[in-house]
This record gives sequence, structure tokens and C-alpha cells, in this order.
Amino acid sequence: MRLRGLFLWDIRFQAKYGFYFLYAVLTVIYTIIILAVPENWREKTATVLIFSDPAAMGLFFMGAIILLEKSQHTPCAFAVSPVRPAEYIISKVGSLATVSFVVAAALALAADVTNLCIVLLGTVISSTIFTLLAIIIATNIISLNQFILWVVPVEILCFVPAILHLFQITPGWLRHYPLNVCMEMLAGFTPSIAGIFLVMVLIVFLFFLSKHCVVKMWNGMGGVKL
Amino acid sequence: MIQVSNLSFSYTKKPFISDMTFSVSKGEIFGFLGPSGAGKSTLQKILIGMLTTYQGSVKVNGIECKERTKSFYEEIGVDFEFSTMYEKLTARENLEFFRSLYQKKGRPINTLLEMVGLEQDADKRVSEYSKGMKSRLNFIKALLHDPVLLCLDEPTSGLDPTNSRMMKNLILAERAKGKTILLTTHNMQDAAELCDRVAFIVGGKICALDSPHNLIMSRGAATVTYTWLDNGEHSISCPLNQISSDEQLRKLIAENRLQSIHSSEPTLNDIFMDITGRTLL
Ligand SMILES: Nc1ncnc2c1ncn2[C@@H]1O[C@H](COP(=O)(O)OP(=O)(O)OP(=O)(O)O)[C@@H](O)[C@H]1O
Ligand SMILES: [Mg+2]
Repeated sequence: MRLRGLFLWDIRFQAKYGFYFLYAVLTVIYTIIILAVPENWREKTATVLIFSDPAAMGLFFMGAIILLEKSQHTPCAFAVSPVRPAEYIISKVGSLATVSFVVAAALALAADVTNLCIVLLGTVISSTIFTLLAIIIATNIISLNQFILWVVPVEILCFVPAILHLFQITPGWLRHYPLNVCMEMLAGFTPSIAGIFLVMVLIVFLFFLSKHCVVKMWNGMGGVKL
Repeated sequence: MIQVSNLSFSYTKKPFISDMTFSVSKGEIFGFLGPSGAGKSTLQKILIGMLTTYQGSVKVNGIECKERTKSFYEEIGVDFEFSTMYEKLTARENLEFFRSLYQKKGRPINTLLEMVGLEQDADKRVSEYSKGMKSRLNFIKALLHDPVLLCLDEPTSGLDPTNSRMMKNLILAERAKGKTILLTTHNMQDAAELCDRVAFIVGGKICALDSPHNLIMSRGAATVTYTWLDNGEHSISCPLNQISSDEQLRKLIAENRLQSIHSSEPTLNDIFMDITGRTLL
């Protein structure tokens, strides 16, 4: 009940901040790009676009949303409300995953990908990972500059191996690197059992870590300057 | 409602709040007074379960704060010393959002807005609110879910005299409904008027705890100060209950030579000065 309410409110907040408008425009631009490239390049283009934007948007947007909440002291209000940290996180992850899903679906359909289900599942999984990472970073820092400082290395660690993986440049020991597995799914391949298992382990780990960080932020009461 | 026994707490290794024991009963307005940095907000944070690494026992509404679950907050309303609203949403949207977090149905939003005179501005964004409007809005946010315990951190700061009066009446009205209210303030007049009992906190310790009336009486009688001219101005004070034996004063009255005469009753302010002055020495 409360979770559903939180989720709907998160959607409302994102709409208020012009987030959906921005993504509507971006979707149109990406679709034009996909339709502009030669037909045999479309699927790969769509994979790269989906990975770098709808899937990874959580990294920036969730960071921005949490920093904004901190600047308005709403974490204190959550701290003294019956909302559980898990509900807060699931609602945030779910609301962004929904947008990721819709945008990725539009791009995948435009590119006429072969394995739509796997692509969309990969999108939701990647979006979850990136949003959780953003929550962990944003709860621990106090300024936008600091956020950017932390996001860049995380981005390199997440993006570089995955992009290389898409072009089959992967050292053996990174075969089941979770972000590589996500990229495989976005490219329409069914992942290996080991790969999926590692992705799940990563998500569970990030979820518990983000729960810990959210509790720390709520009870920390610190202000934030933007 | 609240039982605190042998409470100790510190943010650092150095002892801060040490060995506090007191209790607050249902339907009471209990004030925390003391200089800046004394630990009032810290103590409030412990009582509302935001700091759980304390020693000793703190029971609120029958629950040990250390072991609280999140449903503990269904019955607690907190008004922080700063605004905790989404600036981009309107006042009404904010209230709707925060009410949706509680299981209880709570109080009607329109009634609350009318109570603090914000019904005209309900559909304005909070970012367009003035400081005083924000504090009134944050106050009704604490009442949204009709909690049994209210925790107010400086509820009258930043309000004009009319709104401050209104806020105090609202606080008294909550007590009349049987709510327990914890209050921090730097305004001694408000404290004397609102609180059934006050605790003076200095350096993490309770230095005095009683009703404002008893504290004021304990300081001794009111004094009378009078001045007269006699080769320059002279001024003398004597206790009000001994003026009949003040020969000087009787003589001045008989000769109509008094320049001025004032009586001054001790106030909570004097108690504050005494207590904090004594401990700061
Ligand atoms: N999160 C924190 N970490 C470390 N020290 C803190 C923290 N919050 C407060 N303190 C310290 O604890 C002491 C008491 O602070 P507190 O906020 O309880 O004072 P206060 O009595 O509410 O003061 P004021 O009247 O100014 O609001 C201060 O010395 C403060 O620096
Ligand atoms: Mg304080």
C-alpha cells in the first residue's frame, strides 16, 4: 500500500521536474539516430544507446534527485515517518526502471531488435544496478561537485568493460562481469547461468549497502549545499 | 509517556549527555531550555529514535527507543527547526504526500490549513513561502497523522507576534486534546506560558527540572527599585515583602520625593541567567 503510494509520488515528482519531457525529447532524437544509420548497424547502435542512456540514466538522475531531497531536508522527514528504507529504495529504483523500460522499448522497436524480451529485461536489470549505485554515492556526499567526482570512476568501471565486451574485446576473467552480462542482454543474447547469478549477487549486495546508506543519511540530519 | 533513566550519550569519545533521568506524563507540555549547544536537539533526537547508540533506558509510548521499528512513528509528530518540504510542490501536495506515508487516516488537510491561516496559499509552491509561512506549514505537517506525541523544535521562532500567539494557542489546544508535547525554545516567556514543566539543560546535564512557577518562586521574592534626587540620582532595591521596614522609602514617600518606583518579579529569564551563569563560571 505505502509502497504503491511512494512509487506513484516518485513518478509525480519526476514529472514535475520535467524529467519525462526531457526523455520524450531524447527518445525522439535517439530514434532519429537509429533510423539514420544503415540497417545492419541499427541493432548495435540501439544497444549502445540503450546502455548509455535509458539503462544508465539512474546514475545521474537518482544522484540529482537525492541531492535535491537532501538540500530540502526531506531525509529528516523520512527518518521520522513509518517509511522503511527498503520501501524508499524500491520505489526509487522502480520509478526509474519504468522510464528506462519505456524509452528502451521505443528504441528497441525502432531498431527492430531480434530479442525484445531479453533486451527489456537487460534494461530493467541495468537500470536497477545504476540507480542503486547512485543512491549509495549520493547518500554519502554533500555537494554536486563531490557527486561528479565519484560518478566518473564508477562510470569508467561500468562502461569501459561493457562497451569493449560488445565489440568482443573481453579478457577471460571479465567474462561474467555483471555489467558485461547486462550488455550481452541489451544486445539480445541470453546470458549464462553463472552470469545471471553474479548479477543477482551484485544487486542483492548493492541493495543492502544502499539500505545501510539510506538509514545513515536519514538519521544523519546533515544539511547539504548545492 | 516518556521514561528516561540513566541516559548517557555522546557523538564522540568525550562524555556529553550523562546520566539523565526524568519522565514526562501523558498530556503534559515539557520544555527543554538551555544555552546553544547544550544538547537539547540531541536529546530530542534520542527521544524520537533517531540516535540509538545511547546507554541507559529511554522508553517512549512504551517502546525502548533503541528497539523501535518504523511503526513507532505512526504515533509521533516531529516539527524540526528547519523546513522539510518539497519546495517544488504546493503546500497541499506536500501534505498529501506526507499523509500518504501513514497507515492512519489522520486529520483533514483543509482543516489543518485553516488552523494556521494558510488556506489561501495552499496551492502555492512551498518555494514561494515566507519563513513564517514555512514554519506554520511544518507545524501542521507534524499534526497530519494525529500523533499522541508531538516534538517541536523552536516552534515560534521566525513568527510575527500574531502568528506566534496563534501557534501558542494551537499548542495549548493540542494539550487539551490529551497530546504529550516536547518543546525546545529560547523564548523564556513562551516557555513559562506553555510548559507544565521545564528542564534546564547545560552541558549535557539537567540542572533544574520543575514547573516554571516553582522555579520562579524558588528564586525568591520580587524586588522594588526606587530612585530619588539628593545631590544627584540615587537608586536602591529592596525585597517587595520587606518594604514596610524600609525607612528610607517611607521617608521619601512622606516627603513626596520619589523620582520613580518599580517592582520587578523574577522571570524564567532570570532563572536561565542564574542557572547558565552559575554553570558557566
Ligand atoms: N551529528 C553530530 N555529530 C557530532 N556532534 C554533533 C552532532 N550534532 C550535534 N553535535 C554537537 O552536540 C552538541 C549539542 O548540539 P545540540 O544540537 O543538541 O544543541 P542544542 O542544545 O539543540 O543547541 P541550539 O539551542 O543551538 O539548537 C554541540 O556541541 C554540537 O556541536
Ligand atoms: Mg537545537
